[in-house]
Amino acid sequence: MAEDRAPNGRSGETTLVRDISFCGVPENGSNASMVDVKDGRIIRIRPMHYDWKYDPERDMNPWKMEVRGSIFEPSMKTLIPPYSIAYKKRVYSPARIRYPMKRVDWDPQGAPGSTGPGGRNTQNRGKSKYVRISWDEALDTIVFEMNRIKETYGPTALLYQCDQHGENKVVQACHGAGRRLLPLWGGYTLQIRQPDSWEGWWWGSKHFWGCEPVGQGRQSNLLYDVAKNCELLLFWGCDQETTPWGWQGQLPSRLSYWYTELGIKQIYVCPDLNYAAAVHADRWIPVLPNTDAALYLAITYWWFKHGTYDKEYLQTHAVGVEAFEAYVMGEEDGIPKTPEWAAPICGVSARVIKALAEEWASKRTSVVIGNGGPGIRGPYATEPARLQNICLAMQGLGKPGVNQVKMIEWGLFDFPDQYAQPKPLRVPNLRTAYTGGHPSDTNHPSLPKTYVPKAILEGECDWWGCESETAPREDQFVHRFYPAEGCSRIHAVWTDSPSWITCWNSGNDYVRAMQHPDIEFMWAQHPWLENDALLADIILPVNTKLEEDDIAGDIFSGQYNLLFPERKCIEPLGESYSDYEIVCMLADRLGLLEEYTGGRSIPDLIKLGYETSRCADLISWEELNEKGYFVVPTAEGWEDEPAGFQRFYEDPGSDPLTTPTGLLEFEATGLKEHFPDDPERPPVPKWVAQGVSHEETVGTERSKKYPLLVISNHPRWSVHSQHEDITWLREIGTCKITGPDGYQYHPVWLHPSTAQKRGIEQGDVVSVYNERGTVLGAAYVTERIMPEVIYMDHGAKWDPIEPGVIDRGGAINTIVPRHTTSKNAVGHAVSGFLAEVEKTDLDELKRKYPDAFEKPFHPCAGPGLEACIMGGE
Amino acid sequence: MGKVMVIDYGLCNGCYNCQIACKDEHVANDWSPYAKTQPDTGQFWNKVYDNVRGQVPKVMVTYEHSICQHCDDAPCIAACNAHAIYKRDDGIVIIDPEKCRGNRMCIAACPYENVIYFNDALNIAQKCTFCAHLLDDGWSEPRCVDACPTGAMVFGDEDDSKIKALIARAELLKPELAEVKPRVYYIGLPKKFIAGAVFDQEDDLCAEGVTVTAANGESGLKATAVTDSYGDFWLRGLEDGVYTLLIEKPGYLTQKLGPVDVTRKDINVGDIGIWKA
Repeated sequence: MAEDRAPNGRSGETTLVRDISFCGVPENGSNASMVDVKDGRIIRIRPMHYDWKYDPERDMNPWKMEVRGSIFEPSMKTLIPPYSIAYKKRVYSPARIRYPMKRVDWDPQGAPGSTGPGGRNTQNRGKSKYVRISWDEALDTIVFEMNRIKETYGPTALLYQCDQHGENKVVQACHGAGRRLLPLWGGYTLQIRQPDSWEGWWWGSKHFWGCEPVGQGRQSNLLYDVAKNCELLLFWGCDQETTPWGWQGQLPSRLSYWYTELGIKQIYVCPDLNYAAAVHADRWIPVLPNTDAALYLAITYWWFKHGTYDKEYLQTHAVGVEAFEAYVMGEEDGIPKTPEWAAPICGVSARVIKALAEEWASKRTSVVIGNGGPGIRGPYATEPARLQNICLAMQGLGKPGVNQVKMIEWGLFDFPDQYAQPKPLRVPNLRTAYTGGHPSDTNHPSLPKTYVPKAILEGECDWWGCESETAPREDQFVHRFYPAEGCSRIHAVWTDSPSWITCWNSGNDYVRAMQHPDIEFMWAQHPWLENDALLADIILPVNTKLEEDDIAGDIFSGQYNLLFPERKCIEPLGESYSDYEIVCMLADRLGLLEEYTGGRSIPDLIKLGYETSRCADLISWEELNEKGYFVVPTAEGWEDEPAGFQRFYEDPGSDPLTTPTGLLEFEATGLKEHFPDDPERPPVPKWVAQGVSHEETVGTERSKKYPLLVISNHPRWSVHSQHEDITWLREIGTCKITGPDGYQYHPVWLHPSTAQKRGIEQGDVVSVYNERGTVLGAAYVTERIMPEVIYMDHGAKWDPIEPGVIDRGGAINTIVPRHTTSKNAVGHAVSGFLAEVEKTDLDELKRKYPDAFEKPFHPCAGPGLEACIMGGE
Repeated sequence: MGKVMVIDYGLCNGCYNCQIACKDEHVANDWSPYAKTQPDTGQFWNKVYDNVRGQVPKVMVTYEHSICQHCDDAPCIAACNAHAIYKRDDGIVIIDPEKCRGNRMCIAACPYENVIYFNDALNIAQKCTFCAHLLDDGWSEPRCVDACPTGAMVFGDEDDSKIKALIARAELLKPELAEVKPRVYYIGLPKKFIAGAVFDQEDDLCAEGVTVTAANGESGLKATAVTDSYGDFWLRGLEDGVYTLLIEKPGYLTQKLGPVDVTRKDINVGDIGIWKA
């Protein structure tokens, strides 16, 4: 394991294998990397080479796809993304928190709601500075406050925010290490995260085709199926050159080049020429944000009209087709959903819609998705999701070459039907040794993440579903309330995943909620001072994973699965500890340590991980440690695994779906039973322009004031909020743009025509605003975005000029819709909404907010610690 | 045996791994006598540049790369009055950080852009070394190539048969500078395109099977494309210049369109309506 990286043995460096991926779920590790270390310092991070200690032919059973006279093989190295390579900069970031800190004007002796000297001053969260305190003082204060809150209100007054994403850790638990402690302590309220890349499929498609738990189609062996059978791929809001990076690396890129080489046509349907379309598209069809539902409807209209769909298949595989056809053809509402009807709504000409409908019907076509994107995270996302599924169904879903193909998360949550790549002999699983929170965890009471601001600001709310991130379709019919019966309202918040503001719905509401006097105490633990951590009363320093021992599996790469113990690369910086160690320290002070750990040490847990990894019979513990990693060979016969919905296609009776009828439900049985009159998620999917929850389309009253549609995909140069301080990435023109004041602003993509109308030029500092707030950015004037649409990817580091009102960092989620997917579906709706943009008068802003503009910032790394420490660092 | 690099723009997905890996290798790591540390920001010994081409919706991005060409007759070597720049037996050109006096003659002499940078703090010129310090430790390729996920960057010996096959398909970044004998080869250097979409005015349907011919009045060069089911045509690989388009389909009136000037940029001429004869 500890071996000189130089073949001639002269470097004096030691090479360690580490998982540098960012999903933060124990089943979902990836991006195995080689970290070369010397004299306690990280020298470099590079792709891991599978054949370092193994002979591919002898040990790995290499797979290859041989199709149409061409061969595709996995690379002999991992295909890690740039932020894994640059991760050393994240480790040594100027934003690293090195010791415990306390908000300077928060006094735990103050009465709830108190302001001024000696008060709690909750209204100053986001504005206050911090002072260094000792670990003893920090832990004593937290334990005192926990017990005080419990005695005053009961333990459920503590809200624990502890969900993904983050560094992938197993034994050291990036998020949710307290989930096992708090029940021992007496209870708590768990924040339940919604899917934040699958909203439409989760809240919509599950009612169409089941596909628990995420609502996306069956993926088994689809990479091979596409190569063998597809003639056309429709990348619908999919950017496989962006979204998969932090999860699994860049095999999707290589595959996309190969599919082109095989002669498979690639069409990209999205408002932006995303990074995949930029290099792989045979055609780009720009569609106005969040209007995909209208486009799908027009396509089905064309098919119904011309009979160019698989009627026989629908007779045996689907229910409710007549009701859907009646809506599409206008029998229900008098409006036939013709291409001419859809064209002004979606911005695609009627003749192109017809050409697309005809090409789709005439070729073996799969729809390709990549999570996120502009089409699935918006208001009423359930509708485009179900309509996309319907289009596939009308062309014989499950037929060779006709599936919904994912370009990400191959093997999600350890589900066999999610394995799109050639299957490995075993899928390493480290769940038993994992100390953190899992998406399938439940707790009573719980609160949907989207409803946290509403609950705190309004004092009560109710919703349907959301028992966990993996709750089944039926859970969407369970009514839940805040405060739950016999439970308290929230009075304290513990966050170990402080990225709410820049990742969730209406971040400005969240800021106001945390400033509410009811929230008497808030503490955060995190490696970096960023985003929600800037609101906390106490901040605890966490180390990065390169400062910890652990164990990891790489299962998402699509190449080979790996299992490897992870050895500490450097000593922890400052006074930092791992999240798990911090929870152990809290447990100790609460007298619960033995009960919490079960008497297991960290080395015990690492060994336990190996023993329960499913690979212990394939390699000994000694050999694993000596070699430093284990490559799981490819399974024999992987070629014969059924592809996607193949079995359902062949015989729906023997392989039914998990819908009530076991079939594809064009009219959803469950929705018809429970929400028959919901116009925002009707039993038959529809085009919903506006409703009680949202008014975010062009043509609405709001659009007169805010005429531009904003899309906000997952970022190219970071994973949600992670990596925002890596100076080398910030030099890339699509990552940050330096303004005239030397501050690196987040790019706002504008078409030249959109910019010109507003007198905006490339590089200008601009304000993106609506009634929910203002976000600054810098104009990136480009032909990569369609007119009347602006693009700003999410996750930029929040840097408030006035917290809850105006942000300089570019955190676009501060002004996204506050309402959820729809009235009865509490997903977040964070892309495809209205705003206006104008050139910013920086001088005027500086006059108005002198303090904000005098705050120091690192010229290359952005806002860091120095702006927040009392008297400088 | 001399080392060469081949960069295939047709396989570059623009992930910037090469640019980042270069920084990871050289920032804060002192590889004397090969190179001293690179500043944290501002230098790109291996620089990627986004060339966004065309107009909505006929747009594509070509990622272009600047890197030292390690010329066999390197103008920088000749220009350095401190004799600090030398060529190794394997063809790699190194600026000796100890001998460099900061006279910047090399920067002026280099005929390529974004290759040699000046480090004000160390008062030396700096550039790509092909990671010679790693090659000398037994590595087979520099960091940028190791980090490349798609195979867009290939490094090896010029006598290797695989490399030779790639070079046979490749061009020089600046063909007019062949006399300096650069060691970096390029596949897929961007040539201009004219694109558009043809439709039937009467039926408002996309017009498939339309022949579109671009003629360069000056050189007489011609290029032809036939529209697909969206009426789309792409005339690729055009030399810079001004073209006239001829749009023809049996049963339709022939149309002329122009001038279309692709001297400076690629052009989407937009939607073109044609009328039945």
